[in-house]
Amino acid sequence: MIQRLSKGKRSLDRYLVLGLLCVFAFVWVTPLAIVALSSMKTPREQSQSGILALPENAAMILDNISSASELAGIGNGLLSSLIYAFVGSVTAVVAASSAAYSIAMLKIRFPFFWFLIIYSGTIFPFQMYLMPLFGLYQTVGLYDTRVGMLLFYSAIAVPFCIFVFRNYFIGLQGEVIEAASLDGASSFQTYLRIVLPMAKAPALFLFVTQFSWIWNDFLFGQVLAKSDDVRPVMTSLAMLSGTYGKGTIPQQMAGALTASIPTLILFFALQKHFMQGIILNTAGE
Amino acid sequence: MPDTNQVSTDPLRSEVPVTALGEASVDAPKRAQALLRKIEPYLYLLPALLLVGGLLLYSVAHTFAISFTDWDLITPPRFVGLQNYIDAIRDPTFTRSFSNTLIWTGGSLLLPVAGGLLLAVVLERIPGQRVLKTLIYLPAILSTTVVAAIWSYVYTNNGVLNETLRWVGLDALARPWLVFAPTNTLAMIVAASWRALGPSMVLFLVGLQTIPPELIEAAKIDGAGERLLFWRIKLPLLRPITAIVVIMSVIGSFMTFDLVWVMTQGGPGRSSETLAVTMYRQAFIMWRMGYAGAVAVILSTIVIAFSVFYLRATLKRSAL
Repeated sequence: MIQRLSKGKRSLDRYLVLGLLCVFAFVWVTPLAIVALSSMKTPREQSQSGILALPENAAMILDNISSASELAGIGNGLLSSLIYAFVGSVTAVVAASSAAYSIAMLKIRFPFFWFLIIYSGTIFPFQMYLMPLFGLYQTVGLYDTRVGMLLFYSAIAVPFCIFVFRNYFIGLQGEVIEAASLDGASSFQTYLRIVLPMAKAPALFLFVTQFSWIWNDFLFGQVLAKSDDVRPVMTSLAMLSGTYGKGTIPQQMAGALTASIPTLILFFALQKHFMQGIILNTAGE
Repeated sequence: MPDTNQVSTDPLRSEVPVTALGEASVDAPKRAQALLRKIEPYLYLLPALLLVGGLLLYSVAHTFAISFTDWDLITPPRFVGLQNYIDAIRDPTFTRSFSNTLIWTGGSLLLPVAGGLLLAVVLERIPGQRVLKTLIYLPAILSTTVVAAIWSYVYTNNGVLNETLRWVGLDALARPWLVFAPTNTLAMIVAASWRALGPSMVLFLVGLQTIPPELIEAAKIDGAGERLLFWRIKLPLLRPITAIVVIMSVIGSFMTFDLVWVMTQGGPGRSSETLAVTMYRQAFIMWRMGYAGAVAVILSTIVIAFSVFYLRATLKRSAL
């Protein structure tokens, strides 16, 4: 009798917890709904109607996006960021996989030393990079150029990639060397035809994580670029937003929404990789 | 014997200089090939080394050097020894920036880390886990800049928060959230936590999955309640993952820049600056590169010290 009573109480507790969690999760994502709703309103409508009121004309979002684009170059920023995120992460994946191949599978002296040199790029706060890069870019003419941005984004993504590839390749070692020696392949052929195809999973995972890192970067766009053509999208968005932003709230929200679409698509397409990503990022295995 | 005779009389074979020449020309490519074979493995390292060394490591060394100089980018740098470090420590704005950074650290340990642990423990036994998990994780996909844009709207005078407070009749609580210290810093910590909670929750959920279910069952049979189960079994077994989440959160807090810069630019009156914001302002608004370098080095020393803990914790984990 007592047992049954406590069991009933426990399941009631469970429903209570579940209910609370649902309310919490609902409140948690409300800001996202507010972004979507406000981005479809006129500034006047936004200040006069309730925050959660439905917009009168949803097509207003297009006007807001285009005026936000005129104001801060969001459109150019989207294109630039797409180039940086795509080319930058591919370059980093290629450079890091070849370096990790050398470190894990070829005969070089002090492999761990070379690994540490490249991997050490993850340990420093970004504040250590800002001034010298700004100075260097000014001197060699890379400041405010797409090539300069691409070089930096590739470089910043390499250290984490090499960490993942090295771990992965060390696990593969025996298998690959056996397959290669049977073929009598050169080291480049082994890399191209055997190692890379085997490394598809970590390569895809790294591409996704580095793509979203580069896409989401604000700081280096702020320091290394200034014109509408070169500035990445987040840096452009920052010009609209915040206490010192120059956009209206619907423009800011439309900009925020547009700038988030690529990473949102990536997330839902490759949700598993994202979750794996944070685990790998932290657990380092 | 007859064979050798035949060979020596062969006019083509008997020409000694030809053979010598042939041997030499075979030898040189062989040596070049051997050299190439030795160098080749290093060529694979080259792109990564050039990118990381040329842009990142060079910058670290240079920032370190700049921190001992007085430099405005226009006139040549002048060596001033430790003066920038002394100036920083005596500067009340630096001290405030440092204490704001500590508030960020504490706040991030409380909200996303402790909150993430609590959520993970509660969510673990809930049927709708996957949907709830995805919803709570969702803000983590957005960039900090987007989060800053959204929360600027939440906190502005006629923004989401104040309007909601007025709507439920709590007019007295409505206020300008980003104007006065330390409210502005606390408000921004809440905004940052919106983004950081999901990932820490997921990590704790992963950690909980590694606890052998037999252990939990055994404890339950022994009559352990939920509370006892948490403090005596789950929390101790989660220690490796807790260490990682805590250290990452501390490192992240010390590097806080984007959110503060977009939301308040460290203001008003530099009241919400963090160390990273102070560094940026000194370097790119005030052009005091030496002072900015000193702030960057102080910041790095703290971050690297924690990173060493982090590496130890991860190495231990992968050793397990």
